[in-house]
Amino acid sequence: MMDPHELDELLRAQEGDSGCDAGVSIMDQYVEIELRGKDPSERFPGTAIHLRVCPGCRADHDGVLEAARRFGDIDPE
Amino acid sequence: MSVKRPLADAPDHRPAPGDPVSRRWVEQLHPDHPRHEQALARLHDVLRRIALHELHRRRAQPPALAGPELDDVAQQCVDDALMNILARIDDFKGLSRFTTWAYTFAIFEVSSKLARHAWQRHPPSREQLELGEPPDTLATRPSEQAERREQLIVLRKAIEADLTPRQREVFVAIALNDVPIDVLALQLGSNRNAIYKNLFDARRKLRESLAAAGHPLTEEEPRA
Repeated sequence: MMDPHELDELLRAQEGDSGCDAGVSIMDQYVEIELRGKDPSERFPGTAIHLRVCPGCRADHDGVLEAARRFGDIDPE
Repeated sequence: MSVKRPLADAPDHRPAPGDPVSRRWVEQLHPDHPRHEQALARLHDVLRRIALHELHRRRAQPPALAGPELDDVAQQCVDDALMNILARIDDFKGLSRFTTWAYTFAIFEVSSKLARHAWQRHPPSREQLELGEPPDTLATRPSEQAERREQLIVLRKAIEADLTPRQREVFVAIALNDVPIDVLALQLGSNRNAIYKNLFDARRKLRESLAAAGHPLTEEEPRA
């Protein structure tokens, strides 16, 4: 059974949400800002809002962040 | 869902952009570079490890791949990611490290291929796309406060009356019946972004309907 907060979550549609496509081309930059310990929402506010709401894009973001953290910046040589 | 990035309008013959390591990647991945094959093999190796790691990270979600099938999917992800990276390498502007940019291709391929496998094995049922009997999330109990009960009744009526057929289908499937957005996109012959827009518009409209009926919701911070 939903409590009021769950109903708010169910109907979440926040102003400024940039949608899914906008995050695809900047996901690398977004993640690197996080890796530097900074807040990416200052530069990419629409994607920051979107990632809080869209489970598909959030899973992709978490995967890129984990890959960048775990596998790092390897050299081709 | 295949990941599409815009292709560069024309070849860029300026020096490769980015930090020194990124420049080495871009230069050595050029087909004419003497270290092309080695760079390709090294990138393939790391992308394969990333794809396998990501498939394991998402193992809790359907279709729960394992064994040789998981290895096959990982291989397909790497092959497609590598092909896309090479096709779009002129798009790399050095705004991030080359490796982070390249890793996104592998992750998006994993995401896309898992969704396709899930859809092929368990496409959404008709019941998951239609508002039939009230789902548990919308059911009301006698013990609930009258105002809360009234709010949910208004919401249910608004889902039926105020949404377009596509908005209703998307809202019912994703918000009420937990159909993954990419699986629904495949079922409807659409894409994640378009389905998300339908969902966003449906939520907006339902909020307005609730407010118009005297049950406004106050927007709270999302739960982590």
